[in-house]
Amino acid sequence: MRKHIITLVAMLIVCASETSFVFAVKPEDNRVTRGKGKVVYERACAMCHGGDGKGDGAAGWFIGRYSSPHPRDFTTESFKFRSTASGEMPTDQDLFRTVTQGIPGYMPSFNGLSEEERWAVIAYVQSFNSMFKEEKPTPLSIPDPPFPSSEASIENGRKLYVKYSCDHCHGDNGYGDGPESLKGNLKDSRGRSISAGNLSDRASMKNGTAPRDIYRSLMTGLDGTPMPSFGDSLQGKEKEAWDLVHYILSLSSERGLLRW
Amino acid sequence: MFTRFSTAVVAGGILTAGILPLFILPDQAHAIPAFARKYNVNCTTCHTAPPILNQYGQRFLENGYQLPGTEDGGIIGKRKLGDLTLDEVTNYVGFRLVGNVVRNWGFKKENPSGLDAGVVENKTEFAFPENFVLFAGGTVTKNVGFMVELGHDVEAGGAAVERGFVTFNNIGRHDLLHLRVGKFDPNTFSSYATVRQQLGDVGESQTGGCLPFLPCTFNRAGLAPSAFATKFYGLYDRAGNYLSPFGASLYNSGAETGVDIHGRPFGDWFLYQIGILNGANEAMGDSNKGKDVYGMIRFDYARSQNFSANISGFIYHGNSNAKVQTQEDVNWHRWGVSARATYKMVDVYAAYAVDKINKTPTALSGLFDSTATGLTVGADAYVTDRALVSVRYDNLDAGGMLDQRKSSSFVGIQAKYFLRTNVAVFVRDDFNIRKSEGGESAARNLRNAFFAGVDIVF
Repeated sequence: MRKHIITLVAMLIVCASETSFVFAVKPEDNRVTRGKGKVVYERACAMCHGGDGKGDGAAGWFIGRYSSPHPRDFTTESFKFRSTASGEMPTDQDLFRTVTQGIPGYMPSFNGLSEEERWAVIAYVQSFNSMFKEEKPTPLSIPDPPFPSSEASIENGRKLYVKYSCDHCHGDNGYGDGPESLKGNLKDSRGRSISAGNLSDRASMKNGTAPRDIYRSLMTGLDGTPMPSFGDSLQGKEKEAWDLVHYILSLSSERGLLRW
Repeated sequence: MFTRFSTAVVAGGILTAGILPLFILPDQAHAIPAFARKYNVNCTTCHTAPPILNQYGQRFLENGYQLPGTEDGGIIGKRKLGDLTLDEVTNYVGFRLVGNVVRNWGFKKENPSGLDAGVVENKTEFAFPENFVLFAGGTVTKNVGFMVELGHDVEAGGAAVERGFVTFNNIGRHDLLHLRVGKFDPNTFSSYATVRQQLGDVGESQTGGCLPFLPCTFNRAGLAPSAFATKFYGLYDRAGNYLSPFGASLYNSGAETGVDIHGRPFGDWFLYQIGILNGANEAMGDSNKGKDVYGMIRFDYARSQNFSANISGFIYHGNSNAKVQTQEDVNWHRWGVSARATYKMVDVYAAYAVDKINKTPTALSGLFDSTATGLTVGADAYVTDRALVSVRYDNLDAGGMLDQRKSSSFVGIQAKYFLRTNVAVFVRDDFNIRKSEGGESAARNLRNAFFAGVDIVF
């Protein structure tokens, strides 16, 4: 019995450490916290996001150059990576996840900052936009996959991929080479050219690669980009949503961080 | 012998056959050099255009290869080994190759009177790869980093450790003091770093068979930033080998052995650097009787509107850095300023350095100009997402033996196209714009030089 308890405790510790950022608790947002956040922000973030959070830091232009993406303007722009409905502000946990995981290709993971520093910098970033005070964002329910991937699920997902016109941007095989992308019709909210995500390469999936991450992207969309929310279309169609997730994941392989 | 037309045809053919396949490779948004690989970000997170660093890359370098604002030893993706944290080998190792697929020298070769009647010679050379660098760098634990660069110059032959040093960072408190020990490039933190240029250095053409401590002539000038150059004609190393007036030296040397510290104790706007070296040109000329010391301060502005600017001033005090033809040591000093401004796609930089040799031996009184200056002004601009145009002006008012010294002014123009963020092809031409100076000199013999090449980093 004792052995089982020890095993259970050990498993809980492992689970907690692996998903710690998901359950990280935000400290009280006060002047002291924001003051600490300002110091971290000036050192770690301002060079891209700008001293005033407008996304116009000295180094930021070179990330996308004439195209998208560019560093987020925290003062006016919408946020891409959310667990909330399209058009809403992100939750604290959403911001914590982005800071912790980074954005593959464009923003490094800031896991090297302590959890306290990450929360402090989030408190400071939120001070750039009054919407964070005015809105109480409600996260959508992002369930665990109700059934595992299967050939039938993937095949159904493939049909849905066409039905919902995913191929128009992402291409038949998910390479990001759909006709809308190739014609250069895709623009971000600032009117800059943006390419469709390459779904065949998990390392380039900016909002995470777990099934729940893909599900979240489908349901929330990526505000500020041409990627819409399918929350309404897939309302009450849980099976369809997960079939689509399974198909999207079947387009890619795990290649980690190595990119040759 | 190729004519210009046939050279262009050959160049076009090679570029088409060798480079065109790269255009049809699937494009990736990400770069893959070591640090970009480790952090899974694009090269341009840290570079305006490789190898030139942007503000973020500069801070990453200053922080000992840790992300700015962190002191974690680059923990991401690492494994623990006791107190050490180690990356995958591929995250430590990078490689850069620069090659001129075709090089077309159009120069008029005129050695000094009596040695050569002077012939007009258009010369075409193939040099691929011209130079490659293998480097390993990163962190081994919190606030301890390292960098080793192994370079190979195909023309000169042989490989050598160009740089190799260890960094100890954030001593005292964050950004108060960073320490470097080893063989490093002293000026890497100034506004214009010697080893980070879009228009790479091209060595001079030296007459063979030079004898120790006797005048040695150059057929053709080197193409290097004049502010960084040795600037003096008539200096020798310990063994009596003639020192090139076009090679980087003193504070702007590519690498010297010593210790230095730097930090930003008052915030981002101010950087200091103090160092002591065995001696500039240690391997070539410094008799190492005394250590060389230097200091640099830099003021930064970088807040918003995609704009940044900085200005640096330095002073370098050299001890017995070279010999003159009487075989006596001379103390050779340098001071200078450099500045840089970046606004969106445009990056403008300049450096000006004054070199002074104190106490010229009495035997050379009236025969030796003890002061020399160099000015370098350059700019890079992205004209599209992938095309970078660079221009650089260099003016060298040379010093040294009056009967040898020749000043020179060049303008270089380069267009670089990034096939992927880590693979670029380029064309470049350098023009001699001071042809009025008397003939029969290295500075005059180069009319223009054309290059077509490839620059690969992975």
